[in-house]
Amino acid sequence: MAAPSMAAALAASLPAPQAAPTPAAPTYEAIPASMSKAIDIEAEIPLTCVQLDGMVITKILKHSREASSTTAHGLLLGLDLDGILEVSNSFALPSHTNDDDEKATKSIGRYQASMLRSLKEVQGDDNVVGFYQATSLGAFFNQTLIDTQAIHQDRLRHGGVVIVHDISQTARGNASFRAFKLTPSFMDAYRRANFSTAGLVSHRLTFSSILEEIPLRVRTNALLNSYLNMLATPSTSSFSGARPGEATTSALSPSYSVLDIGNTGLTKNLEQVAEAIDNYRTEEGNVAYLSRQIAREKLRAETYVAKRKEENARRVSQGLNPLPEEDVSRLFRIPPEPSRLESMLLLGQVDAYAKSLESNAGTGLVKMYGAKASSGV
Amino acid sequence: MPLSASSSAAYLQNTSPTPNGAPSTRPTSLTIHPSALFSILDHYLRRTDAQHRVIGTLLGSRTDSSVDVKAAFAVLHSETDEQVAVDMDYHRAMYDLCARVRPNETIVGWYSTGSDLNTYSALIQNFYSQETAPHQAVHVALDTGTEGGKGAGVKAYISSPVGIFPKPENCVFVPIPCELRFHEAERSGLDLLLSPNASPAQTDLDVLASALTDVQNMLNRVLAYVQSVLRGEVVGDKAVGRYLMDVLGTGVEEDGGWTAGLQDTLMVTYLANLVRSQAEVSARLALTSSA
Repeated sequence: MAAPSMAAALAASLPAPQAAPTPAAPTYEAIPASMSKAIDIEAEIPLTCVQLDGMVITKILKHSREASSTTAHGLLLGLDLDGILEVSNSFALPSHTNDDDEKATKSIGRYQASMLRSLKEVQGDDNVVGFYQATSLGAFFNQTLIDTQAIHQDRLRHGGVVIVHDISQTARGNASFRAFKLTPSFMDAYRRANFSTAGLVSHRLTFSSILEEIPLRVRTNALLNSYLNMLATPSTSSFSGARPGEATTSALSPSYSVLDIGNTGLTKNLEQVAEAIDNYRTEEGNVAYLSRQIAREKLRAETYVAKRKEENARRVSQGLNPLPEEDVSRLFRIPPEPSRLESMLLLGQVDAYAKSLESNAGTGLVKMYGAKASSGV
Repeated sequence: MPLSASSSAAYLQNTSPTPNGAPSTRPTSLTIHPSALFSILDHYLRRTDAQHRVIGTLLGSRTDSSVDVKAAFAVLHSETDEQVAVDMDYHRAMYDLCARVRPNETIVGWYSTGSDLNTYSALIQNFYSQETAPHQAVHVALDTGTEGGKGAGVKAYISSPVGIFPKPENCVFVPIPCELRFHEAERSGLDLLLSPNASPAQTDLDVLASALTDVQNMLNRVLAYVQSVLRGEVVGDKAVGRYLMDVLGTGVEEDGGWTAGLQDTLMVTYLANLVRSQAEVSARLALTSSA
């Protein structure tokens, strides 16, 4: 898996946190009173909302659909203003190949740097504010996403966001975009690389407290809006004898794919749930095996120490010199406690698949009753 | 789905094969993806004060007779009374970057905003024709609708040389039909942009409810029309009547699978709920097991 390599590439190419261009920063004029609250040079205003531009939405849609698997990811560019993170542009990143990690890392870094430079030349935004990731059936928890976002959160102004786009839900007629960032407690545990059981308990981490969701809204600028309305306005055909179905046409005719009654995705979804549960079980088995091994080693170490003490006590009572207390940790290698992060993420996937299954089946149920009522059966 | 509203242009095509019998590589139609369209609009918004119009490269794929524009990126250029300059290095560098992510998209032509075609357009067209050789470059002229008197719209052109001795600054732009095309699965994303206050966080049920309300409103409209015809207020259109009969006559047939389907769906819902609660319990247990 090229997870760390991509993360490293991002780290190499990202600007330092202060590098975010704030319009008022380099000038010595006083910030106008009306803007003084909105502009925060030190990034002190917490993010309350993420605003996605219409162009970014279409770009993500296109990239996610064209990429064959759920590996589509890219960078988000924009600015933050008064607690609203405005995402105004995005570009796709090449999907990483596993052939040569070192090379791939460097080339992704170079790719990003030259793309940012090129965008700046044509007056585009070149300030990285996060990344997007395509997913299917709602399960977006994985190591790559967490690693990348953790690096962003350390380096970017405001920590950046990750926008998750669900392809399967969009295909069902409900375009799904959600914005997330890692919770502070997870970041703390991540920095210390402390995902042992005790670490989880002290940070109160479950899969639902890894990410926090930020409200997201969609913005279309006035020009785009007028264009969209132009496209959606039906135009009457110039032929007088046209069939009623073809008499009016528009570039964006209304679509009712939501009303499709077939439960096509359910089987796939069920399979995914079963697979995720299997993966989770395997991981749990690994953890349990390691735990047993630790327990066994500890027991052996303890019995050894106890035996040595007993022997020493006997030798003292016989008037002999006690044997030296050896370093137990050198004799017995007690393996480190296994990281629970992987199993937590897998559990999160199980939950996400089940959730999407539930909502999918729920709407299916409503549609079935609706169809039954309308057919008068 | 035509892009510009009513147009009376007749699309003339010289489809006669070339003398040596090879099929003509001239595209006869063009489709454009919304994301390319929106990129052009965004580029137009970000132009500098000095720029009268903006140009850029169109990326996409082509078949024998049609060109599919899938993406667009901005290219630096400057126009004065004496000369026009296009930053070719920038164009090449940007194309190389784009080709790494989407290797199946090639240069198919160029776009500009505004609808005036002049000598400079011909020169730029000449440059892009070299880039797309042996195929012909297409030109998409996007009218933003912000300049007085002109409506918003998109027009697509191909070029042919003109004159006895063809010169790069002379050419005829021949319009070709231009349509918006996107995958059905992307449709809901565009719906999101069309509805002014839709939040992307709405559930499937919300979307279903709004779609059903739409259908209900349409049925009410049809019902009102039919009743007014029955009352004799409006003269009925026979074509509409037949169309309605075709559409509404196809009743859903009674199938025995309904109950079975219902049971399956209920079972799946139950299972999904069970899995979710188990996952939650498991996560909590992981927190307490060391205590």
